[in-house]
Amino acid sequence: MAQPRLEKRTSTKVEDQSSLKGTLASVFLLGFFLIITWVGVFLLFVNRF
Amino acid sequence: MHIHKFEKIWLIFGVATLLVFLSVIGVSAFYLGNQPPSCLATINPEKVDTTAPFDKPGLNKVEGKEWDYELVYVASAFNYNPGEVEVPLGAKVKVLATTKDVVHGFNVAGTNINMMLEPGYISEYVTTFDKVGEFLIVCNEYCGAGHHMMSSKIKVVE
Repeated sequence: MAQPRLEKRTSTKVEDQSSLKGTLASVFLLGFFLIITWVGVFLLFVNRF
Repeated sequence: MHIHKFEKIWLIFGVATLLVFLSVIGVSAFYLGNQPPSCLATINPEKVDTTAPFDKPGLNKVEGKEWDYELVYVASAFNYNPGEVEVPLGAKVKVLATTKDVVHGFNVAGTNINMMLEPGYISEYVTTFDKVGEFLIVCNEYCGAGHHMMSSKIKVVE
């Protein structure tokens, strides 16, 4: 039987359009990636004679 | 001027990172004394064979210095003198090298000993040989027709 009416209503949280949370998170991810890889290569260099 | 709070956080983080990276260079140069391999030490390229320590190429034991041995190399087209040398394991060695003719390279493959040898200049590198094995020295600056044949060997023995 067809449903006459949609009873379920989903509520989604909509972030403010000007929110920069995602920007901050992604830019920190990139920053930490650069730092970790740099330190990794630096340690490889320092630990060999 | 309005700057978003997140932008301030990121700017502070960026500037702090920059300062840390610059400090690494500063500490390395002024506290640990790291310098380019060829740093102000000169030699007359025509009198290399009669100038100490290059009149005695090879591994020489030294006293009263920060390192135990001096490993002296003279490069010329297309070989290194000595052609093979044995170094005791764990020895703190200062590698000194120069060239009699053109620009040569001095790269102990797989290690940080990697220098350019320029006529008239002495290249130096202090290191501790803490791994047993045979290490190939190759020329990694194109120096002429025999460039690819130019090699030497360091044996680190117990």
